[in-house]
Amino acid sequence: MEVTRRGFVQFLARGAGAVAAVGVAWKASASKLFHEVLPARSIAPGNQKWVMVIDLAKCDGCRDCTRACTAMHHIPPMQEWIKVFEVADNPAAGAYFLPRPCMQCDNPPCVRGCPVGATYKRSDGIVMQDDDRCIGCRNCIAQCPYSARSFNWGEPPHTPEELARPYSVEYNYPHRKGTVEKCIFCPEHLRAGKLPACASTCKMGAIYFGDELEDAVTNGKGETVQFTKIAKRGAGFRLMEELGTEPRVYYLPPAARKYPGPDEQKQAVSMAGMEHS
Amino acid sequence: MEPKVMEPREENLLRSMTQTSWRFYAWVGFLGTILLVGLVAFIQQLRHGLIVTGMRDQISWGIYITDFVFFIGISHAGTLISAILRVTNTGWRTPITRMAEAVTVFALCIGAPIVIIDMGRPDRMLNIFRYGRIQSPIIWDVLGVSTYLTGCILYFYIPMIPDLALLADRPEMSAWRRRFYRRLSLGWRNTAAQKKLLERAISTMAVFIIPLAVSVHTVVSWIFAMTLRPGWDSSIFGPYFVVGAIYSGAAAVIFSMYVLRRVYHLEDYIKPLHFRNLGLMLLSFSMLYLYFNINEYFTAGYKLQGMERTLLDRLFVGDYAVIFWTAQSVCVFIPLLIMLAVLGVKRYEHFTIPGMVFASGLVIVGAWAKRYIIIVPTLRSPFLPSGQRLPWEWTHYSPTWVEWSITAAAVAGFLMIYTLLSKVFPIVSIWETREGEVTETEPEAVPITVGAPSRWWKGGAVATSVLLGFLLLSSQSAQGATPPAKHPKPAAISVDWKVLPANTPSVTGSPDEQQPAAPRRVYWYAGRLFNPFSTSENMPPEEKTVAPVAIVATLHDPGGAPIGFKPLEFSLDSGFGTLSFGNRPTMADGRAQLTVRDRRYGTYPVKVSFRGDDEYAATSFQVRVNFGERPAPALPNVGVLITPYATSPVTVPFVLFYGAMWVVFAYVFGYLILWRMRKVRD
Repeated sequence: MEVTRRGFVQFLARGAGAVAAVGVAWKASASKLFHEVLPARSIAPGNQKWVMVIDLAKCDGCRDCTRACTAMHHIPPMQEWIKVFEVADNPAAGAYFLPRPCMQCDNPPCVRGCPVGATYKRSDGIVMQDDDRCIGCRNCIAQCPYSARSFNWGEPPHTPEELARPYSVEYNYPHRKGTVEKCIFCPEHLRAGKLPACASTCKMGAIYFGDELEDAVTNGKGETVQFTKIAKRGAGFRLMEELGTEPRVYYLPPAARKYPGPDEQKQAVSMAGMEHS
Repeated sequence: MEPKVMEPREENLLRSMTQTSWRFYAWVGFLGTILLVGLVAFIQQLRHGLIVTGMRDQISWGIYITDFVFFIGISHAGTLISAILRVTNTGWRTPITRMAEAVTVFALCIGAPIVIIDMGRPDRMLNIFRYGRIQSPIIWDVLGVSTYLTGCILYFYIPMIPDLALLADRPEMSAWRRRFYRRLSLGWRNTAAQKKLLERAISTMAVFIIPLAVSVHTVVSWIFAMTLRPGWDSSIFGPYFVVGAIYSGAAAVIFSMYVLRRVYHLEDYIKPLHFRNLGLMLLSFSMLYLYFNINEYFTAGYKLQGMERTLLDRLFVGDYAVIFWTAQSVCVFIPLLIMLAVLGVKRYEHFTIPGMVFASGLVIVGAWAKRYIIIVPTLRSPFLPSGQRLPWEWTHYSPTWVEWSITAAAVAGFLMIYTLLSKVFPIVSIWETREGEVTETEPEAVPITVGAPSRWWKGGAVATSVLLGFLLLSSQSAQGATPPAKHPKPAAISVDWKVLPANTPSVTGSPDEQQPAAPRRVYWYAGRLFNPFSTSENMPPEEKTVAPVAIVATLHDPGGAPIGFKPLEFSLDSGFGTLSFGNRPTMADGRAQLTVRDRRYGTYPVKVSFRGDDEYAATSFQVRVNFGERPAPALPNVGVLITPYATSPVTVPFVLFYGAMWVVFAYVFGYLILWRMRKVRD
């Protein structure tokens, strides 16, 4: 076939026409092909945006939050939904305690990666976990940069209180073998207008919890403060901001700590031991 | 068609299918034992859960996923080599294409189900289809691997049709086998018109299987590369895995060539030329893989960023150093040196076959170890190591007997399928070797060339139309929490409030515009950046500047006279507690003003109280202040690809690509082979 300029121009024109036609068809059909509304389970019972603020200066590493969480959710052994880390970022600043619940990210990698939608974002900001649906592929564990997810490797040991209630995504028990579990900000408590177990238990008042739209957060001691104010004045930060996960948990830096940090505590213990001997 | 007189080498090939020695039974029995042990292990795992493996929360993927990546990798070369050789019309390919394709099909048959073994809830496997989310890399894999498996089975089967017809006429086959082959040969009569159709079908498949194969190992790598883990968060993972896959697969093809040649005495088909040519290919891929390894580790090692440094320390000198350097040597360095010697140095030329086979064996073993090295050390080095206050075995990984048994069973299963099916199907293509081997007499003459023209596009139009159905779920609008209404007590404080104009100009409109934001369309959450056809109406609205609210309280005595210079405390009832704004003094006119500039939405009871002093008794007044409408419940618009439903930016490319593949399969197999081939007249 002869290649002519005219033919080539025609070829280009047809191509442009095809692209335009696809564009028009796309605009017309995209909203019909893809859903526009959220499914019922993605819409929270209340119109809030939950947010947590953890004041690292107030945390003394007692792990009461972990224990309260474990008791409330009947969490199987070897799992900690809120885990207290001992962090030493650099050689000079010394170690500090870092309680880590689920960050309930606004751009959650686990939700992105879940093949079946067993973990999903709710409109109040909570990343929920549906163990009726989870297939146990553990992609969410691989996706989570905060190591905030755990897996029921074997059949979890059950207690009668745990088995007494039917399973609900709002409290995530009875626990099932082969499924993933995580902190879910105690939606059951929130429904009843109570603070999550960790926040209400913390006797140091280090964990503040509240509704971002109310601009108020409350800790276990009943102190209510303005969220934006303590975040701003306290130089609040989020863990691994650079990953773009947009966590809903804010931290206040461990500046002017009120309690001895982990290394000082260990030192005190060893000193006490020396005195005894 | 009367049985054609067969050449001695073809008689020999048929003997491999009809005669079995005691060695065959011993081999099958041996493999069967391993499979049985694997079955016992799997039953154990089903009963007790994955606790019987060495995996725990920190290292949550182990050698099952290693096996998966390994077998999918092995599956790569067969079809790819065969397809590239067919597309380029390389003459010497004909005796080896069948066994290469067999490696692919059988490895996929083993590799694909291994993920099911790795699942915590294999009983819920069908949730993948019920609730599948196209945003997840796991679903890309399901889509990719299933498409690829189908394509490879077709690509294995279609070129075999003439051979099956030929076998159906052979007297040495038993009657039921002849019926079986007759059935499978789909009415092949070896006419010129049929041959033309078959050629078209094969060349179309060959062209489409190449991008399909590349895509499959790319999406396998994306399971890892789509995470934020140090060591996996890498942009070269796609090509890195594809090259590694072709490398290990080519080694598997060479190894299987050697074994089949030895066992079935196929020396007349498989010549040193084949080992040399495929060896050159393996050599080039070993260099390419070395390049990718250097690229991957050098870029990370130069910067030593955060946890990447920990990871590299563990790999290079730490607890994974032994396995890391062993894997790299066995997978790349040693085979590279061997191949350079036997292929490049004249005096070692007569070692080509043993050298290549040894190198291939090393590559296969090394490829498995390499997968392990990619997967496990990264999981061992997360940003937040959850290992604090956990026992050693919860943070370290060592595979248990269950995992080893299942892995051994996977290898045994692969060998078993290969062994048994090599008795059912001719492992060398009879009809192609009759016509094809043009360069047989002059070895060394044909290097692998790329670029010979193919004829697939003359074959007819390929329509691509794809539909995806979704479940429609109704949504319920949520209701805002209403704080309990309280009746104001008759008191000596009266409060007034008003919304002040915002200081900073609002982006979307006038500051007193207090309309609730429209519920955002779910499919746009996937990110505006990706969407070529998005317009401003579809974009999520910008965040409004919150207008300040002035609350003015007046303190007066019952007679109405203002009380000046007294402190009034302002507080607000939030969901969990009372937020205090502190005290404001009343002026001479008894008024105290509080201006609230908080980022707050909704209506709240604001309480203004007077503590009381010597002159006046304590009193308080409560008023409901509206700080502006709460936004409608919606997912955060920063969330990329977190929607509950399929979104266009990921759905369209994946569904179009794999959908096109299924259309090609339907055209090739359904139309050309099943429909046209029966109808065709000479």
